[in-house]
Amino acid sequence: MMTEPSLATTIPFPFTAIVGQEDLKLAILLAVVDPSIGGVLVTGHRGTAKSTAVRALAQLLPPMQAVAGCPYHCDPEAPAAACPHCARGGARRPERLPVPVVDLPLGATEDRVVGSVDLERALVDGVQAFAPGLLASAHRGFLYIDEVNLLEDHLVDVLLDVAASGVNVVEREGLSIRHPARFVLVGSGNPEEGDLRPQLLDRFGLHARIRTLQDIDQRVEIVRRRLAFETDAAALAKRFARAQTKLRTQLTTAIAHRPSVVLSDEALQLAATLCDRLGIDGHRGELALSRAAVALAAFEQAPAATRDHVARVSPLALAHRLRKDPLEPAADDERVRRMLAEALA
Amino acid sequence: MPLPGLVALDTPRLALLLLAVEPRLRGIAFAGPAGSGKSALLHGLAALLPDLPFEMLPLGSDEEALLGGLDLEATLARGARVVRHGLLARADGGLLAAEDCNLLPEGTVNLLLGALDAGEVRIEREGLSLRSPCRLRLVATFDPAEGPPRAHLLDRIGLIVPLPRLAPAGARGEIVRRHLSPAADLWEEDLAVLRDVVAVARASLGDIRLSEPQARELTRAAVALGVQGHRADLFAQLAARASAALALRDAVQREDLELAVRLVLVPRATQQPTAPPTEPPPATETPPQSSEDSPPDPPTEPPADGDVELTEEVLAALAIDLPDVLATLPFRSARGGRSGSRGSTDGTRGRHVTSVPGTPREGRLDVIATLRAAARWQRLRPQGVRRVVVRGEDIRIKRFRDKAGALFVFAVDASGSMALNRMRQAKGAVHALLERAYVNRDRVALMSFRGQGAELLLPPTGSVELLRRAVDQIPTGGGTPLAATLVAALEVAQQARRRGLHNVVLVLLTDARANVGLKADRAGVEEELRQLALLTAASGLKALVIDTQRSYLSQGSAQKLATWLGGQYLYLPGASGATIAAAAQSAA
Repeated sequence: MMTEPSLATTIPFPFTAIVGQEDLKLAILLAVVDPSIGGVLVTGHRGTAKSTAVRALAQLLPPMQAVAGCPYHCDPEAPAAACPHCARGGARRPERLPVPVVDLPLGATEDRVVGSVDLERALVDGVQAFAPGLLASAHRGFLYIDEVNLLEDHLVDVLLDVAASGVNVVEREGLSIRHPARFVLVGSGNPEEGDLRPQLLDRFGLHARIRTLQDIDQRVEIVRRRLAFETDAAALAKRFARAQTKLRTQLTTAIAHRPSVVLSDEALQLAATLCDRLGIDGHRGELALSRAAVALAAFEQAPAATRDHVARVSPLALAHRLRKDPLEPAADDERVRRMLAEALA
Repeated sequence: MPLPGLVALDTPRLALLLLAVEPRLRGIAFAGPAGSGKSALLHGLAALLPDLPFEMLPLGSDEEALLGGLDLEATLARGARVVRHGLLARADGGLLAAEDCNLLPEGTVNLLLGALDAGEVRIEREGLSLRSPCRLRLVATFDPAEGPPRAHLLDRIGLIVPLPRLAPAGARGEIVRRHLSPAADLWEEDLAVLRDVVAVARASLGDIRLSEPQARELTRAAVALGVQGHRADLFAQLAARASAALALRDAVQREDLELAVRLVLVPRATQQPTAPPTEPPPATETPPQSSEDSPPDPPTEPPADGDVELTEEVLAALAIDLPDVLATLPFRSARGGRSGSRGSTDGTRGRHVTSVPGTPREGRLDVIATLRAAARWQRLRPQGVRRVVVRGEDIRIKRFRDKAGALFVFAVDASGSMALNRMRQAKGAVHALLERAYVNRDRVALMSFRGQGAELLLPPTGSVELLRRAVDQIPTGGGTPLAATLVAALEVAQQARRRGLHNVVLVLLTDARANVGLKADRAGVEEELRQLALLTAASGLKALVIDTQRSYLSQGSAQKLATWLGGQYLYLPGASGATIAAAAQSAA
């Protein structure tokens, strides 16, 4: 893969310096604690820190162990079954790598997303080698699509396929490759620009809707931090270094703690009641809701997920699963909150 | 005409100077009809900043032109990929001029958004994976008569400046005189002075003071005007500082704040100014933990002193001052929103979807795919002078997606007692169409008519979200202005065509008893309608007249109208939205 000399490593805006937008931050943190929740969709007004928050994610992730030299950075403990590199056997030396957060820009073409023939090697050495694409880079990490509602249909097809199977199958230009591609899909967009394809919407475990903040103090603080960031990004990063470290530690603890968190019966009961009363089809809703509640409990170091945990994550996990009703004026998350109040009463 | 020579464009010129002083304002958009001086302003900025790169963005530019791609000759000569930089990379650090930015293809706008946001262009296409820096200032123009630009694009640039439709009478003579003046270098001296002013202002920018109360005042104005998102708050502060710098002040004053409100906030208003909330909204959920480094609490400050306070009256005055063109900006309301039109009718401007074997005559060559195809055989082919041997069978031709959707314009008769029923049916039909809109790239618009005219409730969109917000309660009763409705529908169709949506279907829900003419008196209403209907049919608009409540009084008016329109007549009493949607789709 040929790349131009990239820009000097730029410092991203610190996650902990983002003002307000608690739903958005919570959704992202829960997806880090439990990637199996199934991805995060963020929609809302323009200019409300959607992409800033996602791009700040990379700094929070504890590094992972990966097989050295494996193009798909498999877990040394449990290499993916579909990995052509690790399947060859041999010693698997582990190395520490940052968890990948891969950006899929809108103009991307299919060959760069799924991978294709490595042109240099083909032309220079006459070898049919595979140049892995963005799906490969995102394995075990996060794949971020800004303006996901504007993504080309044929790329959405590919994403749906891979998201369901966790394996990317490439059959093109004389290549026949299967490789692991399991990632957390993170999408953001503004629904006024166009709707998201229902099948893709359904793939997201959590959906945070964010709005323009109305609080003057918060907004003035946003501008202040933004200006500080643009003037001296390193200084701002330093100012938030302690908060960042604290949050990273909390996440690491939560990830380790999560498997031991139990989902209480009453919590499960509430989850089922909510999905039933809201008329949500299928069981993805209950699953995402329960997993998110457990992740929240783990994040807060609680031994068990309670009704309270379920209640707090239910708008995130359920609002996008409601049947669309053009004559229902209340926003979806309002309907969830209303039903929640009834169920808890 | 150089910048100093422009007549009656003081505010637009001042806005350009702000952008020249403060690159972080990211860009400027001029909204005005043809001949309002848009191009002169755009080139004026280039002349003001002669040392910066300046690139024009032609309307037809495709992704390759913007992003660059493979240098074919060099690649073949070297046997390794050589990258050719595109427009965006070449404009890095300078200015990019986009005339008619509302007519740019969606793909192009998306790339611009990335560049404006991240200050770099990321490319993942055709075997290339590149990041190139792209810190540019966008100078855009558009004619609001041709529809608004994408709100996303305007949101990312600081200044939005409507141009007056007509120069004041006194200025007209002066404009002509200056244009006829042969001395092109007449303004050179003035221009040099302006350049100096900009340079001085730039240098002092870092020292300009903007107080905490002033910052709060700007944000308060943004809240009062219902501005979406938080980018505008930042732009407003930057504009106020730049304004003070240009005036050679060391602190922001009231007039700087007012200018910032006028150029940054007012154009983004979604509502008439209301009193901003004095209390913060009640906290909804307590966050699981406070991950924030607790910032120093904002000092409890005294109420903003009179010097900086932008009262509702001031805001209202600024807002009323707006030229009409602002009403067409996409921020104005949910109704003004526009969803991206993703289809394109000509096979060359759509998105490159795949590549197939062929000959270069059949379409555009896909260099990468061709080289990939050739690469497999290089070892077997005798190499001559050329490093890479490409044969006919290797040639791959790009295939573009040329699927463009249809636009369904629903026009609902809101006169008469059954109006609400019809509206419910129409909304159901619109919803049913939108549910499937992503498949066909269809768009739907919704209008109602009664009394003297037609009102566009939902401009062409593919978004269910916007439909939900389109007015729930419409006034009903009054006359039936069918002629005005046809004219309104033709306008919508014409705008859609400019965007590449050529297949337009008008769905009329009415009993067609027209009794209000455009110009005709009562007796002439029918003849006027007949003429307009024939005209509508001739324009290529497809029509469907749906009669939901045939009565003996209708005397077959709806059938007659359908015949004139060259369309279909359907009698569907109490039909569900889905039924109507299916009928509309089969008419497309």
